[in-house]
Amino acid sequence: MADLTLPAELATPDWLAPTPNAAQTPLPEALHRALNSAAHRERWKYTKAEVFLGATHTAANLPQISGEQQPGIDLQQTTKPVPLVGFDLDQAPEAFARLCYASNILTIDISAPTTEILTLVHASSTVPVLIRVAEGASLTLNEISDCDSDAQQTIWIDLAANAEMKHSRNALDTAGAHWQYLNVRLQRDASYRLHNHVTGCASRRQDIHVLMDGQGAEANLISAGSVEGKTALDQQFTLEHRQPRGRSQQTIHNIVANGGKCSFNGRIHIHAGAAGTDAQLANRNLGMGEHATINTKPELEIYTDDVSCAHGATVGTISQEALFYLLSRGIDQGAAQALLSQGFLRQCIDGPLAESALETLIGGASVGL
Amino acid sequence: MSLLNVSDLHASVITDDQTQPILKGLNLTVEAGEVHAIMGPNGSGKSTLANVVSGRPGYQVDNGAATLEGSPLLELEPYERAQLGVFLAFQYPVEIPGVSNMEFLKASIDSLARARGEEQPNTAQFMRQVRELASSLDLDPAFLKRGVNEGFSGGEKKRNEIMQLLLLDPKLAVLDETDSGLDIDALKVVAEGVNRYRSASNGVVLITHYQRLLDYIVPDFVHVLSNGQIIESGDKSLALELEAKGYAWLT
Repeated sequence: MADLTLPAELATPDWLAPTPNAAQTPLPEALHRALNSAAHRERWKYTKAEVFLGATHTAANLPQISGEQQPGIDLQQTTKPVPLVGFDLDQAPEAFARLCYASNILTIDISAPTTEILTLVHASSTVPVLIRVAEGASLTLNEISDCDSDAQQTIWIDLAANAEMKHSRNALDTAGAHWQYLNVRLQRDASYRLHNHVTGCASRRQDIHVLMDGQGAEANLISAGSVEGKTALDQQFTLEHRQPRGRSQQTIHNIVANGGKCSFNGRIHIHAGAAGTDAQLANRNLGMGEHATINTKPELEIYTDDVSCAHGATVGTISQEALFYLLSRGIDQGAAQALLSQGFLRQCIDGPLAESALETLIGGASVGL
Repeated sequence: MSLLNVSDLHASVITDDQTQPILKGLNLTVEAGEVHAIMGPNGSGKSTLANVVSGRPGYQVDNGAATLEGSPLLELEPYERAQLGVFLAFQYPVEIPGVSNMEFLKASIDSLARARGEEQPNTAQFMRQVRELASSLDLDPAFLKRGVNEGFSGGEKKRNEIMQLLLLDPKLAVLDETDSGLDIDALKVVAEGVNRYRSASNGVVLITHYQRLLDYIVPDFVHVLSNGQIIESGDKSLALELEAKGYAWLT
């Protein structure tokens, strides 16, 4: 296998100095090593990394932004130092490279509890975004991908103590090779909730890396995906508990039908000292029609006692018991299957972007019922 | 023409690698307006009868016939039998998260109306009717927005079955141990619902282990099923006799 290489020469930005791992080795070398590690190969087992890596240096626009004109929000396009505490080069070398290639990034600082929704719409590759929510502040973020060709979006979110964020994300477009990287760091008692609604596209890749970096932090990731026809979705979720008494819950439901290809990897890493952690993950996959390909892998690394951790991955078809229940009430085979598959996804559709997600993923919300 | 006519029915349950005969020549005729109680020991074939009539997968008809008002049932898909007017109240109603009770009921009533060439009911009217029915069965109407049977107690699930019976108003109701797991108050609510459903134009097949239910739903006929055949039939006094003596004196 040929080595993965960076697509262009890369200079170390000044602001990288405080980042661990980057200091000892020259950056291009450190990235090269990370890109060709066994762990990296495993993360890109089902999606060709070359395509995504090769586009990390291409030009990026600002996302379309609305809701930023309210007290407590400060937007900056900046090249100044932005230390990313806890961000691990080995974990995400592509994201690191993209950050280094970017001529500027967008920082969004939230200094107070906000009331209106901040919306980011990506119509193409967008500049790296860093959202910092200050202690006790809160934000509701809607993020919509509306791309029709190759695109990359990278977002870092840093939640200070007691900060709160509700993040809804719809990636329901027909992008080409689409990569979304999301890194969330939670400090003490911070809370983060993600409603992720997604379809397959030519090749869609979602990396989510959540760092529980303060005591009592709480993260909730809920995702509904539909991968139909000749489309692909590859989701790689990593949740690290680094501090005691964190709670995390991940629920990911995907329907894969008629030639769709869906991969999910859910890694939970509970570090030494993260006592009292409660980490739950459930990935359920429903295969329908002909030739659905589903890869799901749970990964658990636990280095402390006194944790409660449940990790389940299932691949199945529609429950015959449930199907018969509907049939016995006069609902025909096709309608009953549709109701059941819709119900399977609806369990994971919520939040302010739910309506359009329902429309795209299950063809309507059956309003009022 | 009889409402339900089951003649010489032989059926097997299909397990992983074999079929096991359960019904061995069962005959049963239900006329409109009648309630037939089917009693019998465990394993005698009571639930198999309900499942074969309603078309549950996992069973194989080896011989015989079943008709509803003269129309053959056993070749039909389960939804076609329901559209003809067969209703099975489940012994173990299924939980379906993500599909709300209201949505499920609407899909059902719309399918039945379409199949019968009737107009689909107006949504607002329909929802009001369902809420009223729920209240009349001591079901909190708030449950209608939740997933089908999701998080229901055993008693609530059975009352939900009865609510569907009243809403869908089938020609033939087959109640498979609807009394199992109910306390006496819930049993009365269920029985009251079944009695409300009873009319001169429909029929009930009531499968039960215990005579207790028959104090509240008085049957016209009681049949004892044993080893896949009806071995004794009588009026409601047969149930009392069974309660006193057990099944052993018959088998």
